[in-house]
Amino acid sequence: MIINMLKTSHQLVHISHQEKQKAMVSEMVGKITNVCWDKCITSTPGSKFSSSESTCLTNCAQRYVDMSVLIMKRFQSMQ
Amino acid sequence: MDPFSSPAPSNGSSGPSTEALMDQVKAQLAQAYAEEFLETVRSKCFSKCITKPGTGLSGSESSCISRCVERYIEATRIIGQALFNSPR
Repeated sequence: MIINMLKTSHQLVHISHQEKQKAMVSEMVGKITNVCWDKCITSTPGSKFSSSESTCLTNCAQRYVDMSVLIMKRFQSMQ
Repeated sequence: MDPFSSPAPSNGSSGPSTEALMDQVKAQLAQAYAEEFLETVRSKCFSKCITKPGTGLSGSESSCISRCVERYIEATRIIGQALFNSPR
């Protein structure tokens, strides 16, 4: 199956790139939700989030991205 | 016999059409993500709701698990929006 895919035209490679992007986005959302749930949802789950819980989740996701950017900059400056 | 060949491949070569292959890849990716998501929810909700395992699931444990699943799905939505709908 994989060998057939490799033999197919360049069009497949172009489509694969888009699918790869989508997959990376899904992966990132999944990873961040996993981490931020632990940070923000500290009590037994209720029938809806409190406003502090949903604010925490939003902040957490954005700070995680900020942190990733900072880490890359630091890492690159050490090369 | 190639199970993936279609009568009119878009790229003109014989063998599986690129569209059929991509549909298969997308389906496999979706399946992999669904399984990973379920495993994460199981882990989170077990730790939040089953604090002292008994001889069966109590009513409160069952309700907690239901709410937990809904909240985790909502959390995923919130994170998606935080990252892609309202960037700073």
